[in-house]
Amino acid sequence: MLNIQNLSFRYSPGAPQVLQGASLSLERGRIGIVLGKNGSGKTTLFKNLLGIHRPQSGKVELGKTNLLKLSRKERARRIAYVPQDIHFGALTVFDSVLLGRVSYFGLRSGKEDYIAVEKILQDMGLEALALRNVEELSGGERQKIAIARAMAQEPQLMVFDEPTGNLDIANEQLILTEAKKLAREKNITILSSLHDLNQALHFGDRFFFLKNGVIKYAGDQSCVTPEVIRDVFDIDVRIAEIDGERIILGGTRK
Amino acid sequence: MTALAELQKRNRIYWTVIAVLLAAVLAMTIVCIFAGSSSMTVGQCLQALAGVGTDAHNRIVWNIRIPRVLAALIAGAGLSVSGLIMQTTLNNAMASPSTLGVSNAAVFGANLSIIGFAGGFLSTGGNAANFALGANPYATSVMAFLFATVSVLLILGLCRLRSFSPNVVVLSGMAIGSVWTAATTVLQFYATDAGLSAAVIWSFGDLGRATYKTDLIMLAVVACSTVFFLLNSWKYNAILSGEATAKTMGVDVDRVRFLSMLLASMITAVCVAFLGVIGFVGIICPHVTKKLLGQDHRVTVPVSILSGSLLLLLADTLSRSIGSGTKLPVGAITSLLGAPFFVAIIFSRKENRRC
Repeated sequence: MLNIQNLSFRYSPGAPQVLQGASLSLERGRIGIVLGKNGSGKTTLFKNLLGIHRPQSGKVELGKTNLLKLSRKERARRIAYVPQDIHFGALTVFDSVLLGRVSYFGLRSGKEDYIAVEKILQDMGLEALALRNVEELSGGERQKIAIARAMAQEPQLMVFDEPTGNLDIANEQLILTEAKKLAREKNITILSSLHDLNQALHFGDRFFFLKNGVIKYAGDQSCVTPEVIRDVFDIDVRIAEIDGERIILGGTRK
Repeated sequence: MTALAELQKRNRIYWTVIAVLLAAVLAMTIVCIFAGSSSMTVGQCLQALAGVGTDAHNRIVWNIRIPRVLAALIAGAGLSVSGLIMQTTLNNAMASPSTLGVSNAAVFGANLSIIGFAGGFLSTGGNAANFALGANPYATSVMAFLFATVSVLLILGLCRLRSFSPNVVVLSGMAIGSVWTAATTVLQFYATDAGLSAAVIWSFGDLGRATYKTDLIMLAVVACSTVFFLLNSWKYNAILSGEATAKTMGVDVDRVRFLSMLLASMITAVCVAFLGVIGFVGIICPHVTKKLLGQDHRVTVPVSILSGSLLLLLADTLSRSIGSGTKLPVGAITSLLGAPFFVAIIFSRKENRRC
């Protein structure tokens, strides 16, 4: 269970408050989607969970552990990040995934780390790419490798920041399916931001709407209504149902 | 073949590269001991090495050539690896030992000692008559080192106050570096002709100033730093993924960056203080290494060390061999020799397929 309570953050003293007591909770193995306008603080929220930023106040509990009180290394073994802009150096796919094990091995990778990485590459069908230079691969492949690297951290919680931002529709599906598999099969909790509301409806279990630095609405699919979307995004939409699946249509500025 | 088996095969290639480079460095070391501007034969050199040559030959080999070769090995390795580490930790391909203005500060310190206090130039001879004979030969080196250290601490201290972002480091390094350069110009403007020429000659890199003592001091700094760099190879690999991502992988990026910058700058400070400015090694060697072998620091750290030594040995041998009796400054040779090769590598069509 992920439990975020009253998280507050601003970038520097005197700067505007980006998070003003954001709270949310998400059960283990579920997929939570954070929705909100550009600049509403989604990435900032994630960076606070991940220890990249330090919140002014608040609590982040994963199970019974307060993530904010852990050392970087301890935190890295519980929570992993798939960022929006994915960079690797000119490393092989194998070494890039092995990087995810740094919090376990520290200075020198051991045999068990190699075995763990080989297993992940096999599971994700990346074995054939193992010795390729990551920088030569396509956007979709790199995204998959970033997920594999996050998997190598053996996390309980994975945070995706706009995982489909730079991908075509086929790769979008590939990445979302891969992420869903992790939640369902490995019981990993996933927290992600997504711009596309339809994709979000299709992918997520729980939805969190971020506005003015707080989670203003939270709930399952039934909480994604034209009224909520209107309040958060300032647009008018309609929601239709086709073959039992909800689809958001339209989008005129109110 | 499984990924693991392929990986082992690749690792064998890396070890072969390192072994070949090591052999080349050893071979070049031997060549350097046997080659020089005095026309000694190989036999005479061997005799001198065994300690049974003439007094003059013994002195040339043991007091001139060997300390000089050791200086080339140590400073080449140090300058090259510190360039590599600065490029990674500052995420800037142009970063090199001069990025933080370390060399400029050292040059100012040396100029102040030579022009301002007329001291410390005795070890290189030539202009000694113009200066107080009683001056301590280490005074100039000590001044150069002190100013380089002050400059490093100033920049790192400033950056610690604010966020330690790579751009802040590079920009403040350039700014402070240009202050030192300007101060040097002012100093040189008021210098006497003799002082000015002594100061300018000092700033040319010259391995001939090395003694066993200075080699030992450089070795201590370079060796300690190299151990630190090697131990942190994986952390540098993580930093390649970006600062934020590296932090989420459990790496204390700020701490690693601060210590790395400090050590890399100390290497530069100590090398420049004893040998003068030897430019470009910290840019050429790491870039050629990365272009050919990828960016895995478990490989690039040792390869940069070896290629740095090799480049400086080559440059030094050339500087001693071109025109008998006159020694061109080794700093000029490294650039003359390295820059065209460097440009060729950068423009080569073959993209890096290996890593």
